[in-house]
Amino acid sequence: MSEPSVVHVSFSIERRYDASPARVFAAFSDPVAKRRWSACHDEGGLGEHMLDFREGGRETMRGAPAESGVYAMNATFQEIVPEQRIIYSYELLRDEFRLSISLATIEFHRDGAGTRLLFTEQAAFLDGHDRPEWREQGSRIGFDRLAEYLAQEQAPA
Amino acid sequence: MTERSVIHATVTVERVFRASPARVFAAWSSAEALSRWMSPVEDWQASYDHFDFRIGGGDRLRFGPPEGEAYVTESRFLDIVPDVRIISAGSMSTAGTRVTAGVLTVEFKAAASGCRMTLTEQTAFLDGHERPEDHEAGWQEILNKLAVELAREQQAA
Repeated sequence: MSEPSVVHVSFSIERRYDASPARVFAAFSDPVAKRRWSACHDEGGLGEHMLDFREGGRETMRGAPAESGVYAMNATFQEIVPEQRIIYSYELLRDEFRLSISLATIEFHRDGAGTRLLFTEQAAFLDGHDRPEWREQGSRIGFDRLAEYLAQEQAPA
Repeated sequence: MTERSVIHATVTVERVFRASPARVFAAWSSAEALSRWMSPVEDWQASYDHFDFRIGGGDRLRFGPPEGEAYVTESRFLDIVPDVRIISAGSMSTAGTRVTAGVLTVEFKAAASGCRMTLTEQTAFLDGHERPEDHEAGWQEILNKLAVELAREQQAA
């Protein structure tokens, strides 16, 4: 077993989307929408997803088996303020190893006809299993996908 | 409408106790012990409505002045390594208003004279209700009480 260690970090990502706070918020609150854009890696894709979007409710995601292992995310919603703020805590696991425990805050601010989204993750990385820069990069990919999802949703079918 | 704001901060407090890591860890793992020292102001009282010390278990703590509005914290234990670390995530409310959400890491390491304990609180302070410097002062008082608790145990032994 690796030597026990905890590295505490914090990072923020800010994005602007050409969609109202209501629409951007819905991309997080609606299970079908959330599932469409939230796989953070192409590899393996999203295997299972469960979303119980209410304070105290849980969200769980499990990746499909891949060479690097099976990733699983288990979240609990700490606070939900419709169209304004979502705060959740989550753990990320790879097989039986707990990689990290985090608090994530998503703030939605109206910006003209669009939305300025501010994401802040405060994380404890455990035992050197994962790296903060990988997490930040994965999160950025997720917010790129959200932009694609919102653009597709906007375009007439 | 309430003005929404979030301040993200990390509060770190370190203390060396004249007790083994196992004894300091034990003081964090029993509701009976915790309720003797887990309160941030001299004559405030603390009590646990619920305490289930295992990974996936949780606790519900009330603390406050003998007469007056209490604070309530609800947390879930996400990582427990006996005698090494405890990590939990949750939120705190008072008078029905959520004031913080965060992740708390407590690490126990052997030191020449006993145990070096490091507490790291990664917190989202909500809507200006609480301030990081007050939490730091609160933890210092709590750890003063923990030192008294450990000394009393030592004398009783």
